[in-house]
Amino acid sequence: MEALYSSAIGILTAAGIYLVLRRRTFPVILGLTFLTYAVNLFLFASGRLVRNMPPLLDETTTPTDPLPQALVLTAIVISFGMTAVIVMLALGSWLSGKDDRIDQPADDGQPREGGQS
Amino acid sequence: MNHWMILPLVVPPVVAAIIMLAARHLLSLARILSVGTVVLMVALSAGLFWFAADGTVSVYRMSNWPVPFGIVLVLDRLSALMLLLTMILSLAIVLYAIGSDWDAKGKHFHALLMFQIMGIAGAFLTGDIFNLFVFFEVLLIASYGMMVHGGGERRLRAGVQYVTYNLLGSTLFLFALGTIYAVTGTLNMADLAQKVALMAPEDSALIRVAAVLLLLVFAVKASIVPLHFWLPATYAEAPAPVAALFAIMTKVGAYAILRVYVFIFGPDVAVMGGIVGQWLLPAALITLAIGMVGVLGARSLGHLAAYAAIGSMGTLLIAVALFTPAGTAAALYYMVHSTLAGAVLFLVADMIRQGRAGEDRLIPGPALAQNGLIATLFLVAAIGMAGLPPLSGFLGKLLVLDAARTVDGAAWVWGAVLVGSLVAVVGFARGGSVLFWNTTDAPSQGEPVSSLALTATFGLVGLLVMLTVFAGPATAFLDATAAQLFDRAGMVAATLPPEAILEAAP
Amino acid sequence: MPLILIALLPFLGAFLPAVMIRGGRNAAALSAGSVTMAAFVGLMLHAPAVLRGEVITFRLDWMPVLGLNANFFLDGLGLLFAGLILGIGLLIILYARFYLDRADPMGAFYTYLLLFQGAMVGIVLSDNVLLMLVFWELTSLSSFLLIGYWKHLPEGRQGARMALVVTGMGGLALIGGMLILGQIAGSYDLTVILTQKAVIQAHPLYIPALLLILLGCFTKSAQFPFHFWLPHAMAAPTPVSAYLHSATMVKAGLFLMARLWPVMAGTDAWFMIVATTGLITMVLGALIALFKDDLKALLAFSTISHLGLVTMLLGFGTEIAAVVAIFHIINHATFKAALFMTAGIIDHEAGTRDIKRLGGLRRAMPITFVIGTLAALSMAGVPFLNGFLSKEMMLEEVTKTTWAGSPVTLSIVVTVAALLSAAYSFRFVVHVFFGPERHDYPHHPHDPGPGLWLSPAFLVVLVVAIGILPAAITGGIVASAGQAVIGAAELPYYSLKIWHGFTMALLMSVVAVVGGAALLALHGWIAPLWQRAPRPEAKVIFDAVMGACVAGARRVTTGLTNGSMTRYGAVFALTALIAGLAAWLSGTSAPPVRDMRAITPVDAIGWILLVVATLAALRLHHNRLVALVLVSIVGLVVAVTFVVYSAPDLALTQALVEVVTVLLLLLALDFLPRETPREDPMPVHLRDGAIAVTVGIAAALLTYAIQVSDFAFESISAYHLENSKTLGGGYNVVNVILVDFRAFDTYGEIIVLGIAALVIYAMTESILQSRAGRRLVDRPVKLDAAAELHPLMMVVATRVMMPIMLMVGIYIFLRGHNAPGGGFIAGLVISIAFLMQYMASGFEWAAARQRVPYHGLIGAGIIIATLTGVGSWLVERPFMTTNFGYFNLPFIEEFELATAALFDLGVLLCVFGAVMLALESFARLAHRRGERASPNAMDVDPSRDIVPDLAPNLAKET
Repeated sequence: MEALYSSAIGILTAAGIYLVLRRRTFPVILGLTFLTYAVNLFLFASGRLVRNMPPLLDETTTPTDPLPQALVLTAIVISFGMTAVIVMLALGSWLSGKDDRIDQPADDGQPREGGQS
Repeated sequence: MNHWMILPLVVPPVVAAIIMLAARHLLSLARILSVGTVVLMVALSAGLFWFAADGTVSVYRMSNWPVPFGIVLVLDRLSALMLLLTMILSLAIVLYAIGSDWDAKGKHFHALLMFQIMGIAGAFLTGDIFNLFVFFEVLLIASYGMMVHGGGERRLRAGVQYVTYNLLGSTLFLFALGTIYAVTGTLNMADLAQKVALMAPEDSALIRVAAVLLLLVFAVKASIVPLHFWLPATYAEAPAPVAALFAIMTKVGAYAILRVYVFIFGPDVAVMGGIVGQWLLPAALITLAIGMVGVLGARSLGHLAAYAAIGSMGTLLIAVALFTPAGTAAALYYMVHSTLAGAVLFLVADMIRQGRAGEDRLIPGPALAQNGLIATLFLVAAIGMAGLPPLSGFLGKLLVLDAARTVDGAAWVWGAVLVGSLVAVVGFARGGSVLFWNTTDAPSQGEPVSSLALTATFGLVGLLVMLTVFAGPATAFLDATAAQLFDRAGMVAATLPPEAILEAAP
Repeated sequence: MPLILIALLPFLGAFLPAVMIRGGRNAAALSAGSVTMAAFVGLMLHAPAVLRGEVITFRLDWMPVLGLNANFFLDGLGLLFAGLILGIGLLIILYARFYLDRADPMGAFYTYLLLFQGAMVGIVLSDNVLLMLVFWELTSLSSFLLIGYWKHLPEGRQGARMALVVTGMGGLALIGGMLILGQIAGSYDLTVILTQKAVIQAHPLYIPALLLILLGCFTKSAQFPFHFWLPHAMAAPTPVSAYLHSATMVKAGLFLMARLWPVMAGTDAWFMIVATTGLITMVLGALIALFKDDLKALLAFSTISHLGLVTMLLGFGTEIAAVVAIFHIINHATFKAALFMTAGIIDHEAGTRDIKRLGGLRRAMPITFVIGTLAALSMAGVPFLNGFLSKEMMLEEVTKTTWAGSPVTLSIVVTVAALLSAAYSFRFVVHVFFGPERHDYPHHPHDPGPGLWLSPAFLVVLVVAIGILPAAITGGIVASAGQAVIGAAELPYYSLKIWHGFTMALLMSVVAVVGGAALLALHGWIAPLWQRAPRPEAKVIFDAVMGACVAGARRVTTGLTNGSMTRYGAVFALTALIAGLAAWLSGTSAPPVRDMRAITPVDAIGWILLVVATLAALRLHHNRLVALVLVSIVGLVVAVTFVVYSAPDLALTQALVEVVTVLLLLLALDFLPRETPREDPMPVHLRDGAIAVTVGIAAALLTYAIQVSDFAFESISAYHLENSKTLGGGYNVVNVILVDFRAFDTYGEIIVLGIAALVIYAMTESILQSRAGRRLVDRPVKLDAAAELHPLMMVVATRVMMPIMLMVGIYIFLRGHNAPGGGFIAGLVISIAFLMQYMASGFEWAAARQRVPYHGLIGAGIIIATLTGVGSWLVERPFMTTNFGYFNLPFIEEFELATAALFDLGVLLCVFGAVMLALESFARLAHRRGERASPNAMDVDPSRDIVPDLAPNLAKET
């Protein structure tokens, strides 16, 4: 079962990386979401996997390691905030630009519209 | 227990909240609150600095739980120094932002600045590795907001890349933390330090993976090649005051490397086998080279400054990668210097853009309204970033070279640092002579720089001068700082209660 | 006056001219002059003592850690050079006042000049070599400013950059050399280093140190092959050329060689490198000088030649040669500075300094004629002028020196050089002042006012005086400087006098002078040949090299950082992969300790679902809507996984966050293109796929490695489990950790959410104000969407749900401490309840009924959370220390009111406010897209007539 679990994390990571390497903002965001799933599962598993022993003291005598759960909870919340922001950013660059590409023009010495700000 | 050390993490967010509640549409009030808070923070961190200067290590146990079970803040010489540096820089930044009306170009500049300050301060103060992650996220998300402050296509695009790259970094951070916890079962830095030091060398693989992955996370922040790609566009496109403030953000990475790879995964730790230094030094050398080459090849002011920042990180990390007290002291001196000098450079770059009606490219244009004054500032910034006399950059480089003398590969370090400065000199000379000498006779279209903005910038220059003149006391203090950082047993004993200290602790 | 003050006075006074210029050019010149004069007097007060053989010192600790200290000392050599620098400085300041044009910013000129002067004085007075380096680099910087002073001249800018690059390079080499030297000697103080000859010359690092130091000296003193920068520095105003490029800066290299002579000289390496370089430079410089038509270029190359001469003398390594070198430094400074100023006068008055266009000026400019001629003849080595004396003594030494294995070679070569230098000196006189008078000058040439000719005149007086009474005038200083150089108390025998009898040297100089005159006669013939002869042009080469460097730098930079996020991401992933792998392989791992569990059907189903959804998402990701749905399925599987492995809180959070995230992305998709174009060719997909798969495998392996291993030490969470109930007051350990043990993490976490909302809000604002915003507004109304926007059923349903969900939210919040739930989850539930109102009834309807601004909620949340934490200070406890007690609300299970709950309330408010503000921002964008504000919740309401303003839409629809 641990092997299964690990493979799942591997698959999620691979999917995430693949999508992050795309050239448009939206798939990249999806890729980051996949990576978030993967890393949350990973962090969760750092307390080792236990079935049906939630860290609720009145329900079980030998509860599982609660600390990783707390950490993952924090991680979930934070990554939610991050996702929200990058979605907004992607939206902004799409609306103020011509396309939803994620690439930057290099420092080619060409004039730039609007200059600073 | 002194409650003072928590104030940098409590006051700014509350002020930000007040700005959100009361001053959402009153820029003037927001400005007053913001400046007031930063001034307060400067005073406060100066006090904390004075308090920690004698070597006292103060520990603040959040929620009053015994170490290592709760979260602690630790104030030692190093964190006090970084805190003070942050606040002083922030003061100059906020004044410049107000003087140049940058803060009016978008919403919530000051609220975000408050959060930014809190995040950076938290990263410097926390003694808990997961809490460090949280504060990294705080300062990052605040920096996302500040980076795209004012909008504009190029800036937003750069912003997307910046955020994406750092989200990858955060993911890696969590992978590393999960591994660390899975191996050691603890998150408190001091506890980690003593436990990692006690680990059996024959079971080193996992902890090394954790350490190295974590190193990469900090390498992203510190923009070490090949993880520097986020920096040029970000710094070149970010609003000038923000770019200047980012001068401290790369240092957060350097700080974290020092804190974690001296104190926890130190060069003397059995399970680590000193691999970190072996890998960091070459990377730092390449970083220096890439940065200086970028300075030489830069076509725009923004990229000139950005690559100068990368180069200075290279020099700084060379000193860090020596992982000797002398090297660390040199690194710290150069860190203070390059933070201030880098900030000056970005602010001057903004003045030049302003004087050239937004023209960022290094091409001849009409002379600036205040050509002489700004040229002088540019010269100062260039001297600082290229590490020439008489400014502290030169002393910092001498310190680095001197510290590298005894290590193997010293020739490489010397060559890189010296040739690097030469290349930087050439790059800045080219840029400067185009900007200030090769001027057309057309009247300047840009508007002059406000006196407040100038004051803020000259304030930073003044600090550089002080750092040069008082190099003696400064280096003496930094030697003590490095010594404290390398004294693992001492730090562990100061942080953990006696019953939590394991036998045979180093 | 303390030595440090002599060195710092010019720096401190540098700002004076910049200020005084407001009071006119005389004021500026006067301020600069008085500063220099003050320093000069201060120096001269020490002169008697120094000439008595004393050494004045001043010590001040600067960076003891490094050994860089503000230590100065003044001996004969220092006195000589400092005297030259400050004395000639005064003359230059006077000269420049009348030379510079009204349009030139004279304040800046004098400021730069004083900076340079201070740096030079600093070099010659430094006792600490690191301190000397500081001043050394400062001369490069200040001369950069002086050479580029006429910023409108491109050659000025290029010349300045060239000088900076060459001398800067030397300076950096010098840093290396000095650090090594200090390392060998065990101190950076010259007074210590100079006592260590044996140690230094025996040390394996002697040669590297020597090479690096000489690189510094040769570049500074324009020795072959680094001589080429000097002629191009002539683009500077003539006062600068006279000061920097004849009298002072170019002598800094010679000074340093002289300074280190006691410990560095005397070895074969020293002789071979220094003497040979000097010789080559001397001949080459003289040869080129002969064929230069620009007066300043001629003088520049003659300077190179004379610097070579001195270098050669120092290279000989004999004490007497060193003394001669000192003597020639004095003489050259006097006549060459005078010559430069003469050239400047001619340029100034005649409007050209091209020899071909000059001639016959002796009548028009008699004073200049006298000055120029005397100085030039001294340079030629004509008797009764000081140039003759030192050249004579030099030749004397040459005859005694064996070079390249033969005793005569050197004498012959040097005689040739002397002959050449006589020739170009005569040319300076003859072709400028003699010959037929011309009337085709740009200006009408005449002698300038005394302001311009006084300075050179004074120097020429010295030239003659020294030439006639050498011992009387320069005996003392030469002796004491000589002692300083050779580092010996008693000097070798030499005599400063005109007549040494019929010596080989006399013969050689006669040959030189006569031959020089003859060669000048032939100049008309030879010059064309020379012009036609092919030879490397230094500037072309230099520019080519620099150009190549810059182009290369650009190629590297833009080649690496090409703006492609794909590349950056790939590099990131691969770096992590390789570094992690290397770390793993570098270590060893213990055998597995934990045994694996069996795979249950639930595991299998979940796994299959997850894999299928993921692969489908990859396959179909071009259709963004579908991809989004599939991703949310994966998210739900993750939530289920949490349930299965005993993490109810996580499951709840994950599920709720999933809902909100998907909502966000849906709103975003409303604007973004629905399709991701298929733009990458197959190889790209394969490449990215390969990277992704390898990284994925690595992640899987790492996870597995952790699963089979075990904690090396007991986890701190044991303590949390133990004390959660007793000390934390909660059964739900996860929640207790979140609001108590690690409440500070949660504090940071809600701050992150608050910031996120703030950022989103701020960005929405800036988008709406930008061009993009206007584009949004102009978008056409989607008619099909406009009508049935708020379906009746959904509106009713959400209304009914609202109170229930709120209750659920509150309940979850209250019980959070003991059962799955808590402020965060409650916050999400409540926000979803509100979201449903927005979705069902439309933005305006909901917004109209919104009482509190969401900004305020976030702010309030943060403040409540903070104050809860601060509250514990009242009871002398650290931030966020909790306290709790039990209460009983009717109809609801017993719950507990902990200060933690108050903190949790802050969390709730912050989360709710953040989510709502974020979605509100999106909605505002959407709203701008032309949605009509509808006063009612339901667009289509049987109990109501059709709203007029919606009529058109409906009409179109039916």
